[in-house]
Amino acid sequence: MRITAFTQLILVLAVTAWVFLLPVPMVATILALELVLLLYIKHDRMTMAAIGALTVFTGMMIVLQLLFGSSLYVSLTGGLRMFVMTTAFLCLLAATKIQDIAQALVEKFHLPCEYAFMLTTALRFVPDFLTDSQTTLDAQSCRGYSNRGNVLKRLYSYLAVVKPLVMRAVAKSDTLALSMELKGFGANTYKNMAPQSLGLLDYVVLMLIVLMSCYPWWHKMF
Amino acid sequence: MIEAQAVNFAYRRGEPVIFDISCTIQDGEFVALLGHNGSGKTTLSRLFMALDHPRSGQVLVDGNDIAKLEPADLSVKVGYVFQNPDLQILEDTVFDEVAYGLKCKKMTEGIIKKQVADALTAMGLEDLVDAYPRALSFGQKRRLGVAAALALQPRTLILDEITNGQDEQEKEDMMAYLRKLNEEKKITIILITHDMNIARKFTKRVLVLNDGNLVFDGATHDLFDGKNNIEQWGLKQPVLSKLGAQLGLEALTPEEFCQKVELKAGDSK
Amino acid sequence: MSNPVIKFTNFYYGYLNSDLILQDINLTVEQGSFTVIAGPSGAGKTTMCKAMAGIVPAYYGGRYAGTVEALGEDVKGKKVSDLAMRVGIMLDDYESQLVSLTAGEEVAFSLLNHGFAPSEVEARTQKALSDVGLPGRENYQLDELSGGQRQRLLLASVLAIHPEVLILDEPVSALDPDGAKSLYELIHKIYKEHNMTVIIVEHDLNSVLQYATDLVILDKGKIVAKGPFAQAAKITYGYPNLRENLPELWQIKFNLEERFGITLGEWRQEADAVSELTEKFKGGQRS
Repeated sequence: MRITAFTQLILVLAVTAWVFLLPVPMVATILALELVLLLYIKHDRMTMAAIGALTVFTGMMIVLQLLFGSSLYVSLTGGLRMFVMTTAFLCLLAATKIQDIAQALVEKFHLPCEYAFMLTTALRFVPDFLTDSQTTLDAQSCRGYSNRGNVLKRLYSYLAVVKPLVMRAVAKSDTLALSMELKGFGANTYKNMAPQSLGLLDYVVLMLIVLMSCYPWWHKMF
Repeated sequence: MIEAQAVNFAYRRGEPVIFDISCTIQDGEFVALLGHNGSGKTTLSRLFMALDHPRSGQVLVDGNDIAKLEPADLSVKVGYVFQNPDLQILEDTVFDEVAYGLKCKKMTEGIIKKQVADALTAMGLEDLVDAYPRALSFGQKRRLGVAAALALQPRTLILDEITNGQDEQEKEDMMAYLRKLNEEKKITIILITHDMNIARKFTKRVLVLNDGNLVFDGATHDLFDGKNNIEQWGLKQPVLSKLGAQLGLEALTPEEFCQKVELKAGDSK
Repeated sequence: MSNPVIKFTNFYYGYLNSDLILQDINLTVEQGSFTVIAGPSGAGKTTMCKAMAGIVPAYYGGRYAGTVEALGEDVKGKKVSDLAMRVGIMLDDYESQLVSLTAGEEVAFSLLNHGFAPSEVEARTQKALSDVGLPGRENYQLDELSGGQRQRLLLASVLAIHPEVLILDEPVSALDPDGAKSLYELIHKIYKEHNMTVIIVEHDLNSVLQYATDLVILDKGKIVAKGPFAQAAKITYGYPNLRENLPELWQIKFNLEERFGITLGEWRQEADAVSELTEKFKGGQRS
């Protein structure tokens, strides 16, 4: 049994709130659970790379906070919170099809259909853009641009890719918009999809979420 | 000179796509690399340029194994032009675009000026030196891609589907430039193409790949004699080949064909 | 009985900030015809296709004069997506016409938006995908498909609509000769089965020679020749710089007709040419 995209979205939002409402040990537990879940769903190179990138980013944030005079405890907990929130989003993306997320956003959160569809479109074009940028990098290389060894040089070469890519994206978006118009994209698009109805498991999870979110209050009672 | 010796290749975590290919391309040749979509022709050409490295076997350029090299190292010996000209435009003026490689190699200003001018003249773009590359026509962009590779003065040029998407006139123009490079400057041309007519008219030798195997390596003339069953490899006999084979009249253009018909009709009067 | 599905009357068009792309276009495309549009790059062929589908001027704006009628009605003021259900169009930049994440979703997109029942959509999707040679690939992500497969996917999504008119702008540009041949065979089969009207923009007329009933040659925005294939081809041959747009068989045909002052048949395949030439020049003797 699976929970719908809607419930998953609520869960992610809840986690974002929990990092502030719940005590640090519990937040750390949530992190551990998230990582286990993420690796269970998708243990490919890209996921590992994403986790790695997030770790590095969090580390940088912690260092920055320390440099600005915060205490070690504050910096670490700040970093932890950020890490938990972003990992939650990673879990969402790993567990759900983006089309379902978009549908839930339109149906339940009343997001205009154009914005929701942007999610799908972004995902659709990312692989293409990666391939295209690889071609541009290859072309640079074939013309004599060597980025051996030097990490900075490598980063710089990636910058040169941005311009052709952006121009290509702009040109493509024109045809894409026309194509969507031709295919009748509009309010009907999400209305005519099979509705995502909430099942028993969804209600159970939602209740648990409400319960957990009330922690600050019933915690005081015990 | 480019040589492949028993080369095998597969993409990371993928199925093998090149099986045990060996071939040698001598200096000054004009070779076509043919094959159906997915046959491995682009992949093989990438191996020639060190864009990828074989799983087993060797690729030698001028007698040296290129296994440890990257494309930038080969750029003064071998030029590679990709199919999509828009993805290869790196600068904002034609001059800078063509000078890109020379600047990477830290050449002096004098040399840069000269080699860029040579390259532009060779591809008929002298008048567009200050133009914005993205504003050029498709055919001009294609020629620009060749000029940019040519600036480094390589002895060999590898061109991936350089005439795809162009009308007949543009194709003829491009091929005329390439022929000039081959005949006058003795540059080796390796042309990856689908266009059987172009291959037949302009190249002397063809390599045909089918499902990753090299199935034909010989004179263009022999491949398109109209008698070989090249359809099994996903290729198409050009119209003039078929007519030529069945009527015994070999010709490279419709005009030539008709002249021969006239001659033959006249002879037998 | 004349039954025009597309009619251009004194049509002129220029995009915003550009010169006139199409000038004085007068053309009638009859129901059931297989029309091929050819001509040098930049002649305006793509713009003409867009005009037939009502995309130009409605979607792009720009300056225009004259009228374009599709299926008997003026395209002006028509909603582009409504027209698209009857006049299916496939543009040459096929990459940017694919909007969805999987093959099945792509084919179903248009149908779902127009309220077709899910069961009907599924059936049509299956048929369309298997027709173009991508059977069972409903769940394939777009990046798992090669360029040629994506082009065929786009065709499938247009075919699934069952349009009355099919406009294809360079539909085989990403395919190898074998793939192009199969695709045109398929298009012809569907054309015959459903009695559609087909309009194709193609550079290599050799590949459509067997199927074309009518020909239109465009040069610098103007129609140079139009009409039944043989007639239009003959007119085109009269322009030496446009001859190379004709299929090679016909370049040879007209060349020989000129040289020998004879009339040859309407060759559709090499075999036709071979048999007629062998016959006419039997044993070398002129007959």
